[in-house]
Amino acid sequence: MRVQLFATCLVDTFFPETGEATVRLLRHFGVEVSYPQGQTCCGKPADSGGYRHESRKAAEHFISIFEGNDDPIVIPSGSCVSMVKNHYPDLFKDDSRMREKAEAIAGRAYELSQFLVNVLKIHEANLSGKGRITYHASCQLTRELGVREEPLLLLQSLKGAELVPLPYADRCCGFGGIFMAKLPEVSMALADEKLDTVLSTGADTVTGCDHGCLMNIADAIRRRGSAVQVKHIAVVLAEGLR
Amino acid sequence: MTRDEIIDLFIGNAVKVAAEPLRVNNNEELNRVLGPILAESESIFCPSVTDKEKAVQLPPEKHTQDYASASVCVEEVSAAIAETGSLVCSSQGGKPVQAGLLPAHHVAIVSSENIYENLDDFFSTLGNSPPTNITLETGPSRTADIELTLTIGVHGPGRLTVIVY
Amino acid sequence: MSTSTQGIPFRTNAAEALRNATLRGAMRNATDTFTIKRADALSGVPVEEWREQASAMRLHVLDNLSDYVDRFEKNAARAGARVHRAKDSQEARERIGSILKDHGIGSVVKSKSMVSEEIHLNNYLETQGVRVVETDLGEYIIQIAGEGPSHIIVPAIHKDRRQVGKLFAEKLGCEYSDDPAVLTRIAKKILREEFLSAKAGISGANFAVADSGSIVLFTNEGNGRMCTTLPPLHIAVLSIEKMIPSLADLPKFIRLLPRSATGQILTSYMSVITGTRKPGESTGAEEMHIVLVDNGRSEIVNGEYREMLKCIRCGACLNACPVYRMVGGHAYGTTYPGPMGIVLTTLLDGMEKANPLLEATTLCGACEDVCPVKVPLPQLLRRLRERRVEEGLTPKLEQTGMAGFGKIVKSPFLFHLGQTAAHFLWPVATKIGPKVALDRLPRPVGKIFGRRVS
Repeated sequence: MRVQLFATCLVDTFFPETGEATVRLLRHFGVEVSYPQGQTCCGKPADSGGYRHESRKAAEHFISIFEGNDDPIVIPSGSCVSMVKNHYPDLFKDDSRMREKAEAIAGRAYELSQFLVNVLKIHEANLSGKGRITYHASCQLTRELGVREEPLLLLQSLKGAELVPLPYADRCCGFGGIFMAKLPEVSMALADEKLDTVLSTGADTVTGCDHGCLMNIADAIRRRGSAVQVKHIAVVLAEGLR
Repeated sequence: MTRDEIIDLFIGNAVKVAAEPLRVNNNEELNRVLGPILAESESIFCPSVTDKEKAVQLPPEKHTQDYASASVCVEEVSAAIAETGSLVCSSQGGKPVQAGLLPAHHVAIVSSENIYENLDDFFSTLGNSPPTNITLETGPSRTADIELTLTIGVHGPGRLTVIVY
Repeated sequence: MSTSTQGIPFRTNAAEALRNATLRGAMRNATDTFTIKRADALSGVPVEEWREQASAMRLHVLDNLSDYVDRFEKNAARAGARVHRAKDSQEARERIGSILKDHGIGSVVKSKSMVSEEIHLNNYLETQGVRVVETDLGEYIIQIAGEGPSHIIVPAIHKDRRQVGKLFAEKLGCEYSDDPAVLTRIAKKILREEFLSAKAGISGANFAVADSGSIVLFTNEGNGRMCTTLPPLHIAVLSIEKMIPSLADLPKFIRLLPRSATGQILTSYMSVITGTRKPGESTGAEEMHIVLVDNGRSEIVNGEYREMLKCIRCGACLNACPVYRMVGGHAYGTTYPGPMGIVLTTLLDGMEKANPLLEATTLCGACEDVCPVKVPLPQLLRRLRERRVEEGLTPKLEQTGMAGFGKIVKSPFLFHLGQTAAHFLWPVATKIGPKVALDRLPRPVGKIFGRRVS
């Protein structure tokens, strides 16, 4: 099986180790991964502010990069996948040619855990882990994509690690794309509350599928002086490969 | 649902909303349950219009026509709804619906055959020219406006007793 | 980095609210409690089926709104009420004022009505020499405090018991107590006098029934019943989208409204009021007026945001919203706060005034999950954000940044150049740029000739 990887602009700009971990994971499960070089950003930052014109530009570019073949597109981010699946077609509602392309691309996009569990059918990942992990369920992943069980299934199968449920796991962490910059005080207060719930679990690591969320939580950790680690699920799972 | 099942459902739901449901089968039982309530009341309003209302043994010195100053109102209401444990108070036939609102204790008699199973069954009977006021009464009056702390008995009665007869 | 310089100063209000520990505690308690109660009340029932049916019925009404309003007017008149159509807030206020003046009414008891807040009725009536007595406990508290409601169901939820106790002691001259039961009794005693002596009552309506000309009122306290059955004159004010076709359609909404609002199966009282007292009856106003408020709704119903008018004012979206939970209702500076408030205010008051409110959402979607009539709130918010951009109302710096983004997103070379430049300029950027945003991000990893620099 062959897939194309869309790393996402957050991974490419701030967290390249997540992209590397994603590749290692997919290869471990027998998947060939190609990385189209010209990729940039799915357009979500512009979309979250209501900038349709700029979002469309990003979408056009994304489509041009990935339309070369029919391979599934695997993306370590719920919000990017939701952008592609749920919002790309609407961006081209007045352009039937592009809309058709957008719909074709949308049908091939998968969030990482979604791909591992629902396409590769990996329910028992047989990886090793350690410590106590808790999982934050990001908003677009859960409410726009309906991905709720898949990350938990994968995390549960880490031998040696303890997965503890996070109270109010799907309550918003306060990142919200452009929101974190427009209303930073509220964004930080929400991250503080999210951190409170994380601390209540006694976990040493908090994980999730979206770097936007994880960045906001990491900032709360930094401001609090907490020792909790923040790791993307790809990194947590890939660490279990060693 | 059978009539008995409907009655049981109504009583179960009335308990949940802190209405105090009682069941009686004849006038003797009615007055046996009412006795203690009427004994501890200062002044009683009772329309004495329906047969069951007329069967209530009212201590004459406590009886008043002024429901605004009465401490308890004993009356028969027109119906009840099992789904929600509600009473139906209607202005039909000259009933003063506000008589059950003003006193601190509302004692409502409802005939068991007038208990509807659910809201749809009741509302589909109303047509387009209902009486001026139909009020569903579901438990005593309450508020949680201060810190969401529940207080029973605000403007309406703080105590609701339902007698299924 | 500043937000829009005109319009409601939400960011400032929000930051102030966040510093208020009492408010934060109150909001956390209230929204958590309501969320749990709502979930309990809706477990074990076919909630998705109920929501779909309610949504379909509301859409049907909106599709035929003007017919239903006509029908309501005809049937309410048949039942003895006088119906007045008010195009806007001013017309509605003035009509109510003149009805009271015609009857020589000097004071009026009032049961809670959000639309009466929308049209700023109380202030107007006071200027006309009419004393308005709010009788819903929460409304009574905020009236004494001189504030507006901070939640559409529990208007005084932002206050804790000590604050209410102090308020009563100061303004009512009673002994200080912070026991909610004691405070409630104090209000009850005062308001009972008002109910019994009132010559006129004003109420809102949760629904209006077209086929019978009835209005429907849900309350827990009994004040709604007092206002509408004791005084000889009753004025009901409601906005036109509250229509439902017939009494047989009411159960759908009876099942959803109280559960969504407070987690109750039913409120203690639900009154269906149909016109004036008929011959042979002992209940009902002698004279009833119904004021139907349009205020832009007959245009909204024909536009792309029409689904907002499905709203039945339950407040569930407020309780679910992470932003509302943090800052409370007053930060929005509007009649209606929270997710439904942002949309409705923008539609009623205009984009220029309301546009900063469009920032007050993370688009998390929690509101849509709980709406009993499936108002697509995130979609409406997204579309309004797009319109905000189209109308040029976003900050200039942001527009420039986005334009820049649009340019580099199609060019991998420029994109990576941007990342690398950000990496090297980071120490400078975090000094001169918006610290509360940039300080919270890690340093970008740059690339030179494909090799990572960090």
